[in-house]
This record gives sequence, C-alpha cells and structure tokens, in this order.
Amino acid sequence: MSQPSTVDPRPRVEQGPDGRYRVEGIRCPSCGEVAAFAWPRCPACRSGVGPASFGPDGTVWSSTVVRIPVPGRTPPYVLAYVDLDDGPRVLAHVTGPGAPIGGRVRLAPPSADGDVTVEVLA
Amino acid sequence: MTVAVHGVGTSHFGRQPHRDLVALAADAVQEAFLDAGTDDIDAVWVGTVFGPPGVAQRVLRAMGVTGIPVVTVENACASGTTAFAEAHEAVRTGRHGRVLALGLEQMSTAFAGAITPEPTDPEGRSGLALPALYAMAAARYLHLGLATPEQLAAVSVKNHAHALHNPRAQYSGRHTVAEVLASRMIADPLTLLQCCPTSDGAAAAVLAPATGGAREVTVRGVALRSGAPWNHRSPHVWGHDLVRRTAMDAFAAAELLDATDVDVAEVHDAFTIGEIVTTEALGFVAPGDGGKAAAAGVTALGGVLPVNPSGGLLSRGHPLGATGLAQLAEIVWQLRGEARGRQVEGARLGLVETMGGGVSVLDGNSCVVAVLEAP
Repeated sequence: MSQPSTVDPRPRVEQGPDGRYRVEGIRCPSCGEVAAFAWPRCPACRSGVGPASFGPDGTVWSSTVVRIPVPGRTPPYVLAYVDLDDGPRVLAHVTGPGAPIGGRVRLAPPSADGDVTVEVLA
Repeated sequence: MTVAVHGVGTSHFGRQPHRDLVALAADAVQEAFLDAGTDDIDAVWVGTVFGPPGVAQRVLRAMGVTGIPVVTVENACASGTTAFAEAHEAVRTGRHGRVLALGLEQMSTAFAGAITPEPTDPEGRSGLALPALYAMAAARYLHLGLATPEQLAAVSVKNHAHALHNPRAQYSGRHTVAEVLASRMIADPLTLLQCCPTSDGAAAAVLAPATGGAREVTVRGVALRSGAPWNHRSPHVWGHDLVRRTAMDAFAAAELLDATDVDVAEVHDAFTIGEIVTTEALGFVAPGDGGKAAAAGVTALGGVLPVNPSGGLLSRGHPLGATGLAQLAEIVWQLRGEARGRQVEGARLGLVETMGGGVSVLDGNSCVVAVLEAP
C-alpha cells in the first residue's frame, strides 16, 4: 500500500462544448489500440500515440456491488466496466442501484472525489 | 540442464500475528533444508508483496543464510512462483548450483480486513477491491450462461472439503452449496465463502540439477509472463488470456501436448470464479465447462483431474508471496506420494499456476505456470 501521490491516476473526464462528458485518452495510429490514459506510447505495440476523446456513451461489459469496507468509501457502491463507444473499457461508478450487463450508460460529471461516473440510460 | 525440486517446506497457514516473518520463514526453510538433505545453497530468490524492505535478508540471517546473492522479487500474487521461476532459470543455465526459493507474507498485521486497493493504480484509486475485480468476471460468466451461482459455489464446497485432509490449511469444512451462497455478500455475485482469507505464512523450495534421485521432482517446464492489454477487444474475461498464453509457453517447454495428461494441479482460486476460468484457460476442460466440471466432481479428489487438493487459496489461505511456493510444495508432495489423506493416487504429472492481479488495463500483473514430473 502506498500513499496517494498528488497526481490522480484515474482517467481524466472533461465536459465538451456540447455539454457532454468525455474521457481524455489516447489512440494508437499504428494498431488502433485505445486507452483512457495520457500515456506516451501504445500499451499494445509501443508506437507513439495521439490524444483522443471517448464517450459519452457506452455499454456495460460487467458490473458488481462492492459491499466490503474500502478506505475513504461507504459501501455498498456500484462499479461497472464500461466499453465506451469506439473507445476503451473504463471502470466507472454507477449512479443508481445497479448497471445491467449489456445496458447503455452515459458519462456523467465525475464525483467530487474524482471518480469516473456513469448514469444508466433508460 | 534439467532441474529438480530436491526439497520443500512450509509454515502453517492462517492468521498468525503473534509470530513474525522470521519465525514463519524459519519453519519453511528448515523443513525444505531437511527435506533436501542439505543447507548448502548458493543463492536465494525471495517473493513477497508487502515487504517490508530488507525482509529477505532479515529472515535469512536467522538461519545463517548470509553472504550469498539474495534477490527479492514482487509480482503480486505470483511473487512466490516468480521466485521459483527465476531460481529454476538460475540452475538451468548453470549460474548457480543449488538455489533456495522462498515466499513469505504477513497479511494479518498489514491490513485490518481485506487488502486495501492500491491508490496509485487507477482502478485501485477508484475503489476496485480485488474481490470486485473477480466479481466482474463472475457476473459476466453468469450473464453469458457460462456458469451458474451453484457452480461457482461448488468450487468452494470442493476446496473446503479437500482442506479437511490438510493440517496446515487455514480453513476447512463440509459446506453445502446453499451455505456458500447464503454466506455474506462481498462483491456481487461472490459471497464470503467464495473469497480467500487473510493469511500469514511462508513456503520454500530447494532447486538443483536433476540427478535421478528417488525423491527428486523434475521441473519439466516453467513459464512467466506479465499481462497484456485487456479491453473491449478481448474475447474473454479478465485473466483468461494471460493464463492461456503462459500455459502455452510452459507446455511447450515441458513438451506437453495435451493439458489433460496432467494428473493433479494447484491453481489460483483466490475467488471461486478464478478456478473456473483457469481450468478452462489451461485446457483442462472445454471453454465454458469449468463450472460444470467443478459441480460434477471432475476436479475433485477422486475425479478425473483433481484441482487444488490442498484446499487451494480458498482454504489453505493466501499469504500472497508465499502462495506460489505453497502450491509447489503441495504438488511435490503429491508427486512423491506423500500427501496422505488428500493423495491423488498414482499422480505422475503435476501443474502449478499462480495469477497476480491489480494492474489496471492489463489482464493480470503476472502469471506463472509450471509442469512437474514424479521421481
């Protein structure tokens, strides 16, 4: 266990001029790999990469409800792996009681603490 | 050069906050030396995750193991088997003549409960406790109809029953599927009895060139890989592809053509879904049949391919750095016919698989697979 550094390791979420939220990451021009992080090289093929924005919508790959104590958090809370459309798989907190697998979700404002957050689309 | 395991040893496994790592390591190392018939070693590889810094030299000096190369490695839950893989390579290449591999961990004094998610990792910082990572795979399996809750629970029932015959196991018991499913929910759909406990322990092995001795267990092949990107392009749940790739490497090194030729295996069942996915990834069962195999007794003692006769991580316990070498010790005992009440009769080929997690984006921190053969 380490102490958190001053750099937040979580994906950066920005609100665009259209009011929608997107994850700021990278896309590899060589192999097409995408990632939700501002890394200097492609994690799959080591090529140089360029910046890319992903979202706001995606599909739930899987989800769970965490029911054990985790420092700084109050269980239960819902987590989902979300495959952003044409983008990477990101871990997100879910507003509401659950996130059905295969269901559609949309990036919401990050939590006050900085968690990537999605809302379930009706 | 062909390498053999000449001796193994372990501590007891369980919450042992009243003992320190010096004492736990001494249990494992002294038993391994006695088992090998020698304490004359040239180097040591030590696997541990939560340290503390300098712990390897600190525990080894208490047994007079000083003045020789000591290397500490960390690959999450695969740290112990990483130490084993590197010790094997050191002997195979002739760099050292006889090597000790040691794994150790004291979890009970490091954490109040479950492992705290690593805050410098994006998903750790987001609150993805390790049970939740495996729960994502389990939920996906249930959604796709690749397993049922009852099949998940069957892994726990089986491994807790196996541990009834392992006096060093942390937990054991005759549970029912209903009891497993009714235990406290940890991360949906995984319940408490489907999660490995917090454990302290140590395990060790002495490796040297094979000489054909009557108690030498030959290392047929061992492979180590770190994870590749796991994302929307991956066809399988987290961990599957890394286990698969590492197993292919190990099987090639061992010249093993058919995974089902393995007679007994110790695999990474930190959570029930882990054993199901791993038996599929190793090729023990067809894709999607891991849960059915557990429920039908295929992977139980007395079944076609017994998995985790020690009780596995679920029951023996999971002191991270020690786990891989505890798995190895079990397979060595099995292949020598010394596993008593949990012996797989006539076992000739054994397999060890350890999986480390906890690195966002990758389908695992590291995986080690080893294939071993009876004397």
